[in-house]
Amino acid sequence: MQAGSADDPYQEISLVGFNRHIGPIFLLAPEDDGTQRFVFTAREIHMNSAGTVHGGMLMSFMDVAMSKTARGASATSRLSTIALSCDFVSPARLGDRIEARVRVRRRARSVVFLSGELVTEERTLLIGTGLWKVVPSA
Amino acid sequence: MSDLARPLTGFASMALADPFEIHIGPVFEKGARGSRSFAIRIDERHVNRGGVLHGGMLATFADLALGAAVFDATDGAPSVTLAMQMQFLKSARAGDIVQVQPLLLRRTRAFLFVRGDFTVEDEAIFTAMSTWKLLDQGHIDGDSGSNS
Repeated sequence: MQAGSADDPYQEISLVGFNRHIGPIFLLAPEDDGTQRFVFTAREIHMNSAGTVHGGMLMSFMDVAMSKTARGASATSRLSTIALSCDFVSPARLGDRIEARVRVRRRARSVVFLSGELVTEERTLLIGTGLWKVVPSA
Repeated sequence: MSDLARPLTGFASMALADPFEIHIGPVFEKGARGSRSFAIRIDERHVNRGGVLHGGMLATFADLALGAAVFDATDGAPSVTLAMQMQFLKSARAGDIVQVQPLLLRRTRAFLFVRGDFTVEDEAIFTAMSTWKLLDQGHIDGDSGSNS
């Protein structure tokens, strides 16, 4: 099924600002082990002049996926990225359906540790780790 | 010329070739090749729900600016980003101007190491350390990295 089509079962999460500008990005059903899943399809605007998906788009997608995953249960808290590391394992192409798979490794009171990867059906594109700050709501 | 495209004082508009960079641009530059500085003016396309500059936008600007430093250091030889480590020190908002002058730390036959310290009004807001691989021009196998 085409992400973004009329009978799409996925929830779009790219509704405002930068997410909307680079989207659409969709939330998928999580895995049984708690791994959160997100997806976007590479369009012309996401590419570089070498014909692969721009590294900035891949890092942006990982940032969005980790932010949403870190938010998790603490939906009322404000969260922000403290650190993000990305290794580029292989390139992505126009039309690729790119899935993010993100896990919370530890949720402490003021920080959340995450790890994740971007994959297509054929291969791993990017491996990432992230550290998010939790600002408790007043 | 739209307000978004209006160059910053002392900067010129950078010629962008990558569709994704054009999509998030404009980007501005100044200085001689090999020691260029780069700048962006944050607008409503670059922020999140709270009006704060999106981490993905900073990551994209880092890939673009540090990649330009690699381009300068190699006379435009094809290269790919292998890794990028980023730290987000302070938030920025629409209207802020983010600047960086990338620093080439080391170049070997196959790899380059480039750091960027990003500022708003001379205050550090973001830092990125990157590793780049030069592609063997006779054997671009396309099995590694993200061309930039």
